[in-house]
Amino acid sequence: MRDSVKENMQNTHAKLTLAEVRAKLAGQKGKKYWRSIDELAGTPEFEAAVREEFPEHSSEWIDPVSRRGFLKLMGASMALAGLSGCTKQPDEPIYPYVKAPEDLVLGKPVYFATAFPFRTGAVPLLVKSDAYRPIKIDGNPDHPYNQGGSDPITQGTLLDLYDPDRSQHTYYRGETRPWVAFLGSFRAMLADKKASGGQGLYFLSTTVTSPTLAAQWKKGQANYPNAKFLQYDPVNRDSAYAASKAAFGEYRDAQYKLDTADIIVSLDADFLSGAAHPGFHRLAKDYANRRRLDKTSTGEYSMNRLYAVETMTTTTGMKAEHRLALRANDIAGFAATLAAAVGAGSAPSGYTWSDDAQKFLAALVKDLKANTGKCVVIPGEQQSASVHLAAIAINDALGNVGKTVVYTETVNPMPTVEGDEIKSLVADMNAGKVDWLVILNTNPIYSAPADLEFADAFNKVGTVVHLGNHRDETGLQAHWHINAAHYLESWSDARAYDGTVSVVQPMIDPLYGGHSAHEILQSLLDNPDVSPYEAVRSTWGTQAASAPGGEDPDFGWRKLLHDGFLANTAFTPSSGGGKAVIPAPLPQLAADALEIVFRPDPHVYDGRYANVGWLQEIPRPITNLSWDNAAIMSYATLDKLGVSEHDVIEISLNGKTVLAPALAIPGHADGSITLHIGQGRTIGRVAGGVGFNACQIRPSGSPLFAAGATIRKTGQEWGLAIPKSHYIDHRATYVGGDGSGTHSLEGNEAIDRGIIRYATLDQFKQDPGFAHEGYGKDDPAPDESLFPAYRYDKNAWGMSIDLNSCVGCNACIVSCYAENNIAVVGQHQATVGRIMQWIRIDTYFEGDLAAPRAHFQPMTCHHCENAPCEQVCPVGATVHTPEGLNTMVYNRCVGTRYCSNNCPYKVRRFNFLLFSDYDTPSLKLMRNPDVTVRSRGVMEKCSYCLQRINEVKIEADKNNRAIRDGEIITACQQACPTNAIVFGNINDATSKVAKLKKQERTYGVLADLNTRPRTTYVAEVINVNPALTPDVGA
Amino acid sequence: MATKDTPVNDPMLDPITGEFAVIAPGHTFKSVTEEISNIVLTPRTPLGWFFGFAIAGGVVLMLLVALTWLFLRGVGIWAVTIPVAWGFAIINFVWWIGIGHAGTLISAILLLFKQGWRNSINRFAEAMTIFAVVCAGLFPLIHTGRPWLAYWLFPYPNTMNVWPQFRSPLLWDVFAVSTYATISVVFWYIGMIPDLGTLRDRAKSRFGQFFYGMLAVGWRGSVRHWVRYEMSSLLLAGLATPLVLSVHSVISFDFAVALLPGWHTTIFPPYFVAGAIYSGFAMVITLAIPIREFYHLEDLITLRHVDNMCKVMLATGLIVAYGYSTEVFMSYCYSASKWEYFMMWNRMFGPIGWAYWVLITCNIALPQLLWSRKLRRNVPFVFLMSLIVNTGMWFERFVIIVISLSRDYLPSSWGTYRATKWDYMTLAGTFGLFTFLFFLFIRFLPMIPMSELRLMLPQAKIRAEAEPLPEAGD
Repeated sequence: MRDSVKENMQNTHAKLTLAEVRAKLAGQKGKKYWRSIDELAGTPEFEAAVREEFPEHSSEWIDPVSRRGFLKLMGASMALAGLSGCTKQPDEPIYPYVKAPEDLVLGKPVYFATAFPFRTGAVPLLVKSDAYRPIKIDGNPDHPYNQGGSDPITQGTLLDLYDPDRSQHTYYRGETRPWVAFLGSFRAMLADKKASGGQGLYFLSTTVTSPTLAAQWKKGQANYPNAKFLQYDPVNRDSAYAASKAAFGEYRDAQYKLDTADIIVSLDADFLSGAAHPGFHRLAKDYANRRRLDKTSTGEYSMNRLYAVETMTTTTGMKAEHRLALRANDIAGFAATLAAAVGAGSAPSGYTWSDDAQKFLAALVKDLKANTGKCVVIPGEQQSASVHLAAIAINDALGNVGKTVVYTETVNPMPTVEGDEIKSLVADMNAGKVDWLVILNTNPIYSAPADLEFADAFNKVGTVVHLGNHRDETGLQAHWHINAAHYLESWSDARAYDGTVSVVQPMIDPLYGGHSAHEILQSLLDNPDVSPYEAVRSTWGTQAASAPGGEDPDFGWRKLLHDGFLANTAFTPSSGGGKAVIPAPLPQLAADALEIVFRPDPHVYDGRYANVGWLQEIPRPITNLSWDNAAIMSYATLDKLGVSEHDVIEISLNGKTVLAPALAIPGHADGSITLHIGQGRTIGRVAGGVGFNACQIRPSGSPLFAAGATIRKTGQEWGLAIPKSHYIDHRATYVGGDGSGTHSLEGNEAIDRGIIRYATLDQFKQDPGFAHEGYGKDDPAPDESLFPAYRYDKNAWGMSIDLNSCVGCNACIVSCYAENNIAVVGQHQATVGRIMQWIRIDTYFEGDLAAPRAHFQPMTCHHCENAPCEQVCPVGATVHTPEGLNTMVYNRCVGTRYCSNNCPYKVRRFNFLLFSDYDTPSLKLMRNPDVTVRSRGVMEKCSYCLQRINEVKIEADKNNRAIRDGEIITACQQACPTNAIVFGNINDATSKVAKLKKQERTYGVLADLNTRPRTTYVAEVINVNPALTPDVGA
Repeated sequence: MATKDTPVNDPMLDPITGEFAVIAPGHTFKSVTEEISNIVLTPRTPLGWFFGFAIAGGVVLMLLVALTWLFLRGVGIWAVTIPVAWGFAIINFVWWIGIGHAGTLISAILLLFKQGWRNSINRFAEAMTIFAVVCAGLFPLIHTGRPWLAYWLFPYPNTMNVWPQFRSPLLWDVFAVSTYATISVVFWYIGMIPDLGTLRDRAKSRFGQFFYGMLAVGWRGSVRHWVRYEMSSLLLAGLATPLVLSVHSVISFDFAVALLPGWHTTIFPPYFVAGAIYSGFAMVITLAIPIREFYHLEDLITLRHVDNMCKVMLATGLIVAYGYSTEVFMSYCYSASKWEYFMMWNRMFGPIGWAYWVLITCNIALPQLLWSRKLRRNVPFVFLMSLIVNTGMWFERFVIIVISLSRDYLPSSWGTYRATKWDYMTLAGTFGLFTFLFFLFIRFLPMIPMSELRLMLPQAKIRAEAEPLPEAGD
């Protein structure tokens, strides 16, 4: 708060009294992150706080001269207190990965291994660090789990580190205090409570991912047996844990082995969208590896087939060969019916299935029974425990356990049913049992279910301590707020999906001197001053030291830090499939009932990344929605409710209401509305004021989905930022339409125009050249141009994108933002279509919008050999390189935008205003020094990561050798969890990209315009079940 | 074009040809000179002039506000976006350039074709050309992302040794428009020299004598002067004539050379030229009718002029209509191209399809009323029709630029366009600038060429036509 007051004062030239300052503050609206309840209420406490803030300077505001001097001093101290760029390395030794210069060479990045301790399992990382500033996060290529892949959230945590709105101080009742003041107060309290065994001391943590933290608590609990440690996140694994407890008697995690699965069934499991699903990186990679049309030893194509049953349209459902849209409530019934059909349990009574569903079920059962031991059923994280139990039973009945699914210890060291924990905590708070509540990295005031009235219970607690990255909704209310260290700033540890241990090592000293949960919990122990580094090292040091190596006793630990993970620590599968008894599912919802489904936002997750501009701005998969959340429903439901898109509706559920703009998406289950939680934050210059908070109507009894909602139209409209248009094809057949009125115009056109080409596996077997037959699918001969063809003697860079592998997860886009310093333009600019993304994922919906099939097509600059943009630029600002790159000379660009008009792929992006942030100091640290930050009035676009090409070229030149295939990795390629993108030299016939381009399925989009694109696509082949859809494809 | 049933005694009708007179009868050299020069030399400026000038000046101020904000913030204050990266600025540019064409056509081509009636309107039609080019020339400059670097489009020698990219039609535009502006200004000025001499001689104030004296560059009206004057007019007309065809052809290349469906078509050059003349004549009418009323110049700008200009509009309007129908034919029936097919459907029935029908109504349907002679001589109706045609021609460019861009090859990148207040302010601001300049022009320069009108009088004609008669037996 103090900084904002300063800001406000600096902006005010006239004399100000404190009262005026306060009035000004109270008048501020919108995205000012420091708004507190106190301030809004204008309580005397707040006034007092302001006065205390500047006690010795209060009178100086009357005197202009000394005020000026004060401002000068304050400005200087702000500059000093801010980020000057001379942050030093952490004290503890950390070891550079692979490329290790002798000492710091400026301009030469070093790479460190660490891990992102996400709550669904750690994401092993390799972080690029330039002058000790982490500037790019990517998956650790040596790690067996993700093999270099990442996801949008992991990529976005880089901006989270440099977020200028991060909390920078420790606060007590609104005043800054040193960390030691808190520590003193905390330890005094602990000493007091020692006798009572910690009675009245409660911890409420985000899901604990660190084995060290769990160990610390275990030891702490021995000292304070009556203290309680609870966990709560609004998005949690309660269903999975509850089901495993019921089936196995203890908490277990399921690990799916998609590399051996021929048939995959998703029961609302969105395992291809992002890290919100545990094991995303592994599952997506294994899934995609079985779709490359490799031949097995018998000469058959080893291709899997995916069935999906889901409510909200997800990328998983859209990648599925066959998909059934069901309301979330009914999926448990479907799962039980499916279980009964494969011989596990009995079918639930009272369920009636539509013809489509029955057909789907029959075909699915037949397919599953024919593939016992080679199929797998994956239950959704956001589905009820009975779906998980049904999946356990089905996998057991089909003999999949030990083959396509194994059960292991849990990745998270302290598994628990978090929904019950928050309820018991609130009960204790209301009962006055809670004396000290220490909240660790979670934000319950924002995210607790509405009916718990957490904020009211909050006031009944003696002292609340909040440790958090931001002074968020909870942090502003808490008595103590401690600024947390980011995972890139602190020591910790975590396990990946497969159980492999990673050490989280700091890449940079805490920018704002933040602290971690380890430091707080260590206070409970007998040796309270042990640092997190020592704590982590004591957890794994012995195990690491056992690694074979030199005589150096440190070798094992150094190797652990160097590799980023401790080899051979993956979980061993436990034996036995568990005896799952499927409980009777909830009765089927009445046809006219309206159900609300709560899901994490695909990008900002449960709200913790809501202040990351990249994640807010990049259009979400499927919905294409940027900057907001919406009441997402099917077109039929939209009609039934009598609203149109963008209309603001009031959703009431159990007496709680929330306002939300309506949005229809293809394929959503009818009679169901999906709300993404994670938006509607009140703090943060990015997050504040974006969307609505779905937790406001979330019931604690049924936090995943709840029936019985009512809708009221408000008559207002909200301009949702959907950068891509979507229209329904109303064209009659004689003007080129299909006359149906239920299909997507873009989808129909994309297939008509040969932009999307695909075939079923059977069609492909009969006609491998399907991608080159039909209208507009013939590439012109190479000499069909007025201009002489360029010669590429040495290198010719090209890219191949496998549409079969792309799952539309957006990891490539966020990676591109980080690598290329792409600006965030904000909600309004996004609404009018000025998003700056250099790579986008075009999504085309084919067929009836009630049951569509989607095609994802990553679209970057195609680096055309006959580039239409180059011919029309009047100043020669976009030119061709001898290696075939189409490059932008930013300095030369005057901004006529003619190139964009003439680009058939519309991949050029223009700085219509000054979009780049030149002022915020922390963002300067984050930028990639090898890429220009573009100013206003300049065109920009994908450069094939020119800076990476040149870096490798220089290295190769120095060593006097040719560039090796695979040595240059573009940012999008590096992030892709499914290896859908391949880049390389097409002049080199042995390169991977050249081989891919020779494939029969390879085609160029709009190549019939004779643009001769360097980016080509490998056409999709889908492995449909002939019993279900006999007539799809090419 | 009078017919037998016209009243024989109408003084406005030529008794021999039956056509409307170009100048009302009864005028002498003196009366023509006085009527025109008094507008300029009168010490008492009409109040109405101040009123109109103040309004136009206010609108210019609005333009300055819009431009200042534009330079401060960037072109993002407009509605341009991806995919519609060109919007009002380029529409206005093409529209204003088109308007200019009538002036050149009147002064050059009609001169070469010896269309005497042009003389009454050629001066202000030329002025209109110049002011339209001023308005048009503004847009390519301000629409760039970094207008302070727009001079990079000129091929000037520089230490970096960097030249413009000569394959770009935008560069051709630079040459076409700057040539056009130069020729137009020179032609206009040279044509005005005899009249400036008259004004110098008639000016009472010292300042007027000095001002017009400087501008008249020593014109004495000697035979030698007249010979050179006539020769240079003819030469300049010869130079300007190809420009009528070339300038808008080059501008149409901006679109025709591009790859975009709806732009990539060979019909654009002739159809743009016809459209330019169409809108230009409409603008001449829009200007002539109020001036004629305000300064009581019905004697000099007669119904003959109005009628003739309507005919030109009708003819060029039909060429334009032919262009539209060819576009439809090419895309629907002949091209066999999915892109073209969709482009035309989208142009007519897409989300901005209404603009196409505005264009068809204003440019094709309504102007057919001009077939009626009665309506052609109905001055308020003709004025209204000129406004309709100007609107229609603006929408033609809107349809070509915005609708084509909004939905092109990749359906994923379709977008739309919604003009902002800054777009409208800039458009309106150039109307203000145009009117502002025009007010200055009619106040300080002779808006109708006195020297040429004097030659039109019967008194002049007798001698002029008597001389070349061959003698018998020669």
